[in-house]
Amino acid sequence: MNRLATTWALFQGLLLEALPFLLLGIAIAGLARWLVPQRLWIDRLPRHPVLAPIIGALMGFALPACECGNVPVARRLLANGAPLGTAFGFLFAAPVLNPIVLASTWAAFPNQPWLLICRPLGAFLIAIMLSALLVQLPEAQVLESALLAERRMNQPLSNLSLLKRGTGVIGEPLPETTTAKTERLGFKQVLDQSSREFLDLLALLLLGCLIAALVQTWLPRSWLLQVGNAPTLSILALMLLAIVVSVCSSVDAFLALGFAAQVTPGALLAFLLLGPVVDLKLAGLFTVLFRPKAIAMTAIAASFGVLLIGQWVNLLQL
Amino acid sequence: MTRGLLIALWGWLLVWSVLSRRLDLLLRGVFHGLVGVSGVALIVVGIAVMTRNIKQREPVPWPWLAGGLMAILVLLLPPNPSFSDLAATRPQGLPEPLELAFVLPPEQRTLTEWVRLLRSQPDPDLVDGNPVNISGFVLKLGESPAQIARLTVRCCLADATPAGLPVAWPKDMEPKVNQWLAIEGRMRVESRDGQRVAVVVPETIQPIERPLRPLEP
Repeated sequence: MNRLATTWALFQGLLLEALPFLLLGIAIAGLARWLVPQRLWIDRLPRHPVLAPIIGALMGFALPACECGNVPVARRLLANGAPLGTAFGFLFAAPVLNPIVLASTWAAFPNQPWLLICRPLGAFLIAIMLSALLVQLPEAQVLESALLAERRMNQPLSNLSLLKRGTGVIGEPLPETTTAKTERLGFKQVLDQSSREFLDLLALLLLGCLIAALVQTWLPRSWLLQVGNAPTLSILALMLLAIVVSVCSSVDAFLALGFAAQVTPGALLAFLLLGPVVDLKLAGLFTVLFRPKAIAMTAIAASFGVLLIGQWVNLLQL
Repeated sequence: MTRGLLIALWGWLLVWSVLSRRLDLLLRGVFHGLVGVSGVALIVVGIAVMTRNIKQREPVPWPWLAGGLMAILVLLLPPNPSFSDLAATRPQGLPEPLELAFVLPPEQRTLTEWVRLLRSQPDPDLVDGNPVNISGFVLKLGESPAQIARLTVRCCLADATPAGLPVAWPKDMEPKVNQWLAIEGRMRVESRDGQRVAVVVPETIQPIERPLRPLEP
């Protein structure tokens, strides 16, 4: 009974901590939609396979939010027809490459300058790698079906046939929200879309928090940290811990501080790199962006990349 | 209408969590303001959505309703975690202290400050005989003797880390796990498992209610 009560409290803690950041992300996405005509800036984003994810990754400096807040913004980018590379670069790198997260990492580890360089650099590399991987697949195999439909509505006819759009003579009429792309959306439209988006994402956040709370209560964390000094095992253990704990990237450095002395440097970096890209809380939120196969690919590729970076750091530091 | 109502309900949940001081048990203090402001913003948005769609009937997807039900459950069932259960799944790994607690008179040091001090300065003889005035919950991990402990958080309950001090409990006292106690006494150096450690020797032990802010930064 005690343990159930503890699970319930952990669930509430995770939820109440994440909810403001989710709201912040939706607010920023809504404001961008309201203030800036969509096509004007999305058309200016580079479509070059290398440049696109780099620009996306750097866009995080304009959004000081953690990974929960990034999902609605990335979804809006994709829905509005932004290049896939830019949206993915933003989604995977911005939770680390933003002023708040860099400041909190510096505050937690002022005596470890290597971490202040390796964390943003590692996040950048992982984001570029994941973007490069996902853009190899056809959009229809990567993007969630509702998002794909919305994205196709927003693509110029020169890029996409009526058949693919599912509109025109044989398809559905265009929804109200995707008409005038060069005009500003009305406040009512933005409020309507954002409020729906909030409730959709909230339901998935609830699921993620519930899973994370259950796993945390029933899996002793000390098991994961017992392998702290073994180079490869410590990296794997801390990667698993990052997935389970699911704390926001804006505060994960302070959590890492608690066990920094017990684990290898590579494991510490692995914890700080993987959590913002893959964790139990995010698993639900990602379903509004990706198909299950793409989520699995992202998780596997990110884990592999983080493991390699962690090993490399251990080789240099140990 | 229903959509606005659900958003306002979530807003009220956040505001209520701040007003009822529930957050003291769940999140570090620096986040409380953010939660409150988010709650107010959600209530305003919820009212705006309601007034704009007052006569409109729209289908309500079941995940929204399930979310609303969860919000009601969270409102009705306040958190009541077992601190011992939480501590049992965590390693005792406090961060390096930003400043040493030696600058404080010993009787003013909190339990967490004592733990940080003893970890940063491993020679227990330096604190031998110091007065102690601390409060915490009884923590018993496995077969080891019961300690007096606190949970520290950097973010929320999910990253709570225990900080405990060994206690030379009176022979006629069997400390109850999870019970909150205020202890006044002195530090004494004892040999335990072949190591010299600083142990709290209580002069008075007072059962207390769980403090309003049981988590320490």
